[in-house]
Amino acid sequence: MASSAAAARRLLLLRHRHGHLLPKRHFSSSSAADGLDDGGGGGRVKIFDRDLKRRHRDRAAWAMRETDGLVDAVAENLLDRLEDCRKAFPSALCLGGSAGAVRRLLRGRGGIERLIMMDMSADMVKKWRESENSSGDEPETHFVVGDEEFLPIKESSQDLIISCLGLHWTNDLPGAMIQCRLALQPDGLFLAAILGGETLKSVAGNLLTRAGFTLPGVDVDQYTVKYNNAFELVEHLRAMGETNALFQRNPVLKRDTALATAAIYQSMFGLEDGSIPATFQVIYMTGWREHPSQQKAKRRGSAAISFSDIQKQFGPSEN
Amino acid sequence: MRRTAALLSTHGGRSIPRALADVLVCPLSKQPLRYCEATGSLVSDAAGVSFPVLDGIPSLVPKDGKLLDDQEVKSEQESSTTDSSG
Repeated sequence: MASSAAAARRLLLLRHRHGHLLPKRHFSSSSAADGLDDGGGGGRVKIFDRDLKRRHRDRAAWAMRETDGLVDAVAENLLDRLEDCRKAFPSALCLGGSAGAVRRLLRGRGGIERLIMMDMSADMVKKWRESENSSGDEPETHFVVGDEEFLPIKESSQDLIISCLGLHWTNDLPGAMIQCRLALQPDGLFLAAILGGETLKSVAGNLLTRAGFTLPGVDVDQYTVKYNNAFELVEHLRAMGETNALFQRNPVLKRDTALATAAIYQSMFGLEDGSIPATFQVIYMTGWREHPSQQKAKRRGSAAISFSDIQKQFGPSEN
Repeated sequence: MRRTAALLSTHGGRSIPRALADVLVCPLSKQPLRYCEATGSLVSDAAGVSFPVLDGIPSLVPKDGKLLDDQEVKSEQESSTTDSSG
């Protein structure tokens, strides 16, 4: 028995060295070779540089403000929806983005007893752990460094998964959402807020459905933030970890470029007093893990009554 | 006897709380993880990878995973009594 286990291990290791991490039968929503083997990619398009985004998040960990108007407004919106559910979610996972704000503003909403905070930046996770929570009714909180695209959470273990402004930088958003759904208990809730415009809104509904969520809901809110000047806008984006992480030849924004961009932006959008209003569109998504108690359409072909029966019963008299 | 959580790591780092260890799985294989006291890391036998626990925080991003070499895994297997994962 020991020798066959050892043989299986050797086989897996050989697969690693040839760039295929897992036998095909193992679950992975995207090519797992991306993880340990940078050269691969398995044919999946990589739009966002996740390593760069991790460094952005590291920087945001020390640059971020104690409270942030935009981020707090979005977190409050998500938490309000939780309250509207009038259901308790004892076990919850808070993914990336502004998880810190969600935790700080939680105030007992959702009946959360155990909370896991996860981000791909260790610096960000440590910063969350250091933050004190003023309210006395904090849930038991744990911290993990992890990637939404390779969710290290056991299936059917969470009652709630929240992502506040975190998922829009994933390369494989459908994959991340599927993994979220699987990590949820039946009748568990997925609640996410992402930055995005009208185009993304029309896609969001499809994303939820394709990920297998039931009772999907999408709506968009617009927030206008006024900055004193364009530099402040860029600084705010940096503090949120929201600067550009598209794969590009030069990942560094040179000072000259930054100045030129700021000057152009100022002249295009600046108001008379020099301030700049910037509009952020936030898309809110809700979806549930399927459960027998949920209302759903009957299976096609399962009807017991035909339309002609209904017409005979209720239609105009044929006399 | 469960080796996860309740025991203190010999590396002087904090142990992983049971409530957390119970819901964590390997990010690649989605199979259970096993806490290795000797290295203070979380091992995924299914993927043959170990993940570090840094300052008490499990780091389960695929890039932080380290391939296990046969020798490491073999000695782990020989010294263990029962596999407590799952």
